[in-house]
Amino acid sequence: MSATVSSTYRNVGKGLPRRDGEEKVRGLAAYADDIPVPDGWHGWVVRSPVSRGRLKKLNFDPAFDWSRVCVVTPEDIPGENVVDMVGRDMPFIAHDWIQFKGEPIALVAAPTRALAREAASHITPEIEEQPAILTLREVVDQFQRDPKSLHEMVAQTISKGSVEQGFAEADVVVEGEYWSGHQEQLYIEPQGMVAFPEPDGGIFIQGSLQCPYYVAPELIVTLNLPLEKIRVKQTAVGGGFGGKEDFPTLIAGYCALLAMKCGKPVKIIFDRNQDILYTTKRHPSWVRHRTGLKRDGTITAMKVDFLLDGGAYTTLSPVVLYRGILHSTLGYKCPHVYVDGHVYRTNTFPNGAFRGFGAPQAIWALESHMDRCAHKLSMAPEAFRLHNALRLGDTTATGQTIAEAMGTPTVLENTLAHSQFVEKQKRCSRGDPKADCWYGIGLSFFAHGAGFTGDGESRLKAKAALDLEILHDGEPGINIRISSTEMGQGTFTIMPQIAADGLAIPLDRVCCPHPDTKYVPDSGPTVASRTTMIVGSTVFDAARKLKTQLEAYASETFFGGAPTELNNGLFKNTYTSVSLPFERVAKQLIAEKGPQRVYHQFQLPASLKWDQKTFKGDSYPSYSWGCNVAEVEVNPLTLEIKVLRITSTWDIGRVINPVLAKGQVEGGLTQALGYAVMEKMGIKNGVFDANRMQTYVVPTSMDVPEMDIHFVEYPYTHTALGAKGVGEVSMDGLAPSVANAVEAATGVRLTEIPITPEKLWEKLRETASSAI
Amino acid sequence: MSNLDDTEFLEPATLAEALRFMADESTRAVPLAGGTDLMVQWEAGVRPPPSRVLNLKSLPELAELRAEGDTLIIGAGITHAALRRSPLVRKHAPALADAAATVGGAQIQALGTIGGSIGNASPAGDMAPSLLVANARAEVASIHGSRTIPLTQFLVGYRKLDLAADELIIRFHLDALPAEYCEGWRKLGPRAAQAISKVMGSYRGKQEGGKVASFAVALGSVAPTAIRLREVEQWVVGRKLNADTLREAEERASAEVKPIADIRSTAEYRQWVSGRLVRGFLEHLASAG
Amino acid sequence: MKTVIRTWIVNGKKYTVEFPPMRRLLDVIRETLGLKGTKEGCGEGECGACSILLNHEPVTSCLIAAGQVPDGAEILTIEGLELTHEGQELQRMYVAKGAAQCGFCIPGMLVASYAHVTGDHPDNSDAALREAHAGNICRCTGYAKIIEAVSAAAERLSHEDEDDDT
Repeated sequence: MSATVSSTYRNVGKGLPRRDGEEKVRGLAAYADDIPVPDGWHGWVVRSPVSRGRLKKLNFDPAFDWSRVCVVTPEDIPGENVVDMVGRDMPFIAHDWIQFKGEPIALVAAPTRALAREAASHITPEIEEQPAILTLREVVDQFQRDPKSLHEMVAQTISKGSVEQGFAEADVVVEGEYWSGHQEQLYIEPQGMVAFPEPDGGIFIQGSLQCPYYVAPELIVTLNLPLEKIRVKQTAVGGGFGGKEDFPTLIAGYCALLAMKCGKPVKIIFDRNQDILYTTKRHPSWVRHRTGLKRDGTITAMKVDFLLDGGAYTTLSPVVLYRGILHSTLGYKCPHVYVDGHVYRTNTFPNGAFRGFGAPQAIWALESHMDRCAHKLSMAPEAFRLHNALRLGDTTATGQTIAEAMGTPTVLENTLAHSQFVEKQKRCSRGDPKADCWYGIGLSFFAHGAGFTGDGESRLKAKAALDLEILHDGEPGINIRISSTEMGQGTFTIMPQIAADGLAIPLDRVCCPHPDTKYVPDSGPTVASRTTMIVGSTVFDAARKLKTQLEAYASETFFGGAPTELNNGLFKNTYTSVSLPFERVAKQLIAEKGPQRVYHQFQLPASLKWDQKTFKGDSYPSYSWGCNVAEVEVNPLTLEIKVLRITSTWDIGRVINPVLAKGQVEGGLTQALGYAVMEKMGIKNGVFDANRMQTYVVPTSMDVPEMDIHFVEYPYTHTALGAKGVGEVSMDGLAPSVANAVEAATGVRLTEIPITPEKLWEKLRETASSAI
Repeated sequence: MSNLDDTEFLEPATLAEALRFMADESTRAVPLAGGTDLMVQWEAGVRPPPSRVLNLKSLPELAELRAEGDTLIIGAGITHAALRRSPLVRKHAPALADAAATVGGAQIQALGTIGGSIGNASPAGDMAPSLLVANARAEVASIHGSRTIPLTQFLVGYRKLDLAADELIIRFHLDALPAEYCEGWRKLGPRAAQAISKVMGSYRGKQEGGKVASFAVALGSVAPTAIRLREVEQWVVGRKLNADTLREAEERASAEVKPIADIRSTAEYRQWVSGRLVRGFLEHLASAG
Repeated sequence: MKTVIRTWIVNGKKYTVEFPPMRRLLDVIRETLGLKGTKEGCGEGECGACSILLNHEPVTSCLIAAGQVPDGAEILTIEGLELTHEGQELQRMYVAKGAAQCGFCIPGMLVASYAHVTGDHPDNSDAALREAHAGNICRCTGYAKIIEAVSAAAERLSHEDEDDDT
């Protein structure tokens, strides 16, 4: 454990209660459906009833009174009929080809939701239906027979050394295939947005979203408005998990197009059924590993095929693929690596962002496979991992050198000790037919790239501003102006902690209001576990800048030019014992010169090199590390699987707020538990079969096991703050540790998540186990 | 969100008044108690909005819960929360109390009623197996009077009851658990709480002199209605429980059900685990006796 | 569209409201009474975000036809919780322990907590607390801090009871 936490921090490192806690426990926080919308209309999306085909025309029932409603079809779109995301292949409203069942074919607004819905039912399309490809199974079948017949959205390889040579040097080669399905974010607040037409012809969008500066610029070409006429403000957000990263642009666009046509504010709040059917999911994956091994456990070659089901349009799939393939061998040293990644189209709702962003799929396969490799060599799973774990000075598959101290292999060693893994391994039942209860323990060890992939942060240039002004309580203070959103993870709490410490002023003098593009610069999206690491550090540096300015002003104005320092909320100069409170100086400065704003822009260290074409270099600025040990009990009578306990250790760099950080881990592990053993989504009649909360089952309070959580701090050395990321790493690694534990309990390995009693029964049947 | 604004809402103050509404086609309505099934079905558009709804919530006649000799009488309006809390139910039909405690969460238990659960006629309704092993009779009424039918006959098929259009379910009559008998309830769902069952069931039995003296077992979600497994019941009575008889009972039970695949489970697993649940019940009986 | 008129005690105050009888109680609370603290997460009784206390029992207000709620019924929503000592204690502990993250499930969750701690002889074991909150889905916290908060509040409240007894 590093002990570098500076004693100058009064707030950073403390588990302070969340800033928005009180309004949330009192029911006062205003979410998208809670904000007043005087004279507002309700929007509805008319959707395609088929999965693929050519749209001939729309029929409007002549018996319906269309004068009472507003209808938007492609002809009404002021700009281009395209969602301006990566790929630019998705129309806002389908006008020619239908690529998935549920694709928008028209929009309707009316004074009531019921009327909008009714109107929508009077619009019927004529579609010439075409064959569709609906599942990853079909994709993988075709990939193995004739990959050219598939519609490829993106492909990328990673190559290091020569895998042929690596396999030639190997004593043993181990192969495995691993499957994962769709996962739904299932934030408890469904997607919701309101668009208000502005008198100047602009549009003001408020709603549930993670990234105000995705929504606003992405609507420019569609609405044919300049950026300054598209104002986006975040309301309170009832959970996002990536589900409110890319999708809100669509629902905001629907509202804006309708509002611009009917001249009224237009609101769309999805009900749960719509939210599950018509929003993005985690990409289903198929990963094939082929690994060369020496008898002593050394990995000589790793060859990986990595396939994702992209759904019908590209959206964020390339970026998800990049993160996926970069994590598909991460954590281990290996001289010869070849990863072949592809995203293929299926005619289902486009898959998009979800906490982990490709990494959970990659780590599910990798950490299942590493256990299989250890097993093949008759090595203990922890010994195999300790033997191969990346350490300081080692290089990753892209050739990145681990150049600073990180939590590898400490998180592994620490978790082994806390969980008594080695001792408990001896208790594992391995399908003992005489046992009343099967016990198993399993391990996973992994890293998560902190911040954007590659040079993303260099291209983005995240900005933060601090406004010194009179706050709502009439006293001077700081408003933090960033586009990072609060969606439960704690942005509005940790940013004031960071800014207050950067300025050395009392915490209650710092506020972090909901981002509104009218006031905040672009700090980038609230994604990729980058908010604390990148934006937090930018806020900290901005605070230091403002502190210097304030000290100069105080020195000049109050201390006759003597060197002055702001500390603990007080300005003091070196010569006298006189001190002035921050408020006094700030008030005078504002009175004299008006509110003050300082900007700061984030910069990656120049030493960081990345080649996006060859996928060589520093694929991430740094890495968070995690290790999970899952203990399970399988009931031999029914094959029910119960996860009893999860022991975990995390290196997330400097921990800014340990209570919030632990909350992130507890929540991430719980979502990962659902991914591992519960959350299941099939395709039926072209759409998701689990389309309500009754059928899409996530963990309840009674499903969640005891969680023993530890942190080890290895601060990121290129920012003053030293934070890495916690949001996603906690979601990444539980599933394989559960699969490994289930194998230890039952003697059979399952290679598809979720792991269910049904699959376990089939597998035990296949292996003719005498236990059942 | 379905629009129920135009649905007529009938509020009888007494059972007699409710039955009069049901008697006449022009006032006949969908009976609504806890709403935990119907409100969802209307919301989801699975059922079209009804023209009339009959509120059963405030009928005192449906709210009784008492023991009468060897019979436990449970009004159709008794909620799951009341069932799980009632010392009477705990004593005379413990498997029913246990089943009630596994329905939804506390909120659903406070709303949902036993009459609604049976009236919904879903094979996944958690109340039926415990009622079946207690030889429950359903009492239904119309303005022409009431009749009492064994639950095995009342549950006709998938979403089908032996209930005429003008009848309402009034109460259930159960054989109280006799002394020296055991009961058990087991539910397998996709998660630990708030789950629709993959397979669930109850048993009531007695051991005497090391042999099974009596055994009733019922499973749900394995056929169009919850069912008693008569063959295995008969086969096991008089036998000593050991590894061989347990295995054979398991196989017989498994052969007696005809489950289907749905979103919650596969037909094959359900078939297999049905036998396993019956085996578990017999093991429970053996250890209790 | 026919309406009914009901007089209820909502958060300790008498309200007379008029609405179509098959409107969901959730909609009457949010739209007619304007109490936006109660949330809709699923509309099918699964998530518990719309939980309120109806005559002291926790119920999902999305599953109740408001016409079924008779005159004189007592309704307690998240907005009324802070009028009670137990509610305040729970709210305090939720904040202190970090039980709220995105906050959307919290109004319903707190109602479940309140129903538990004000129930007859509440069992405050971890298992019982988990069961008492099993009707409320939270996707952020993993429930750990929620259970911790209720446990801490229950502990404090039980000590007060002892004080009262002596």
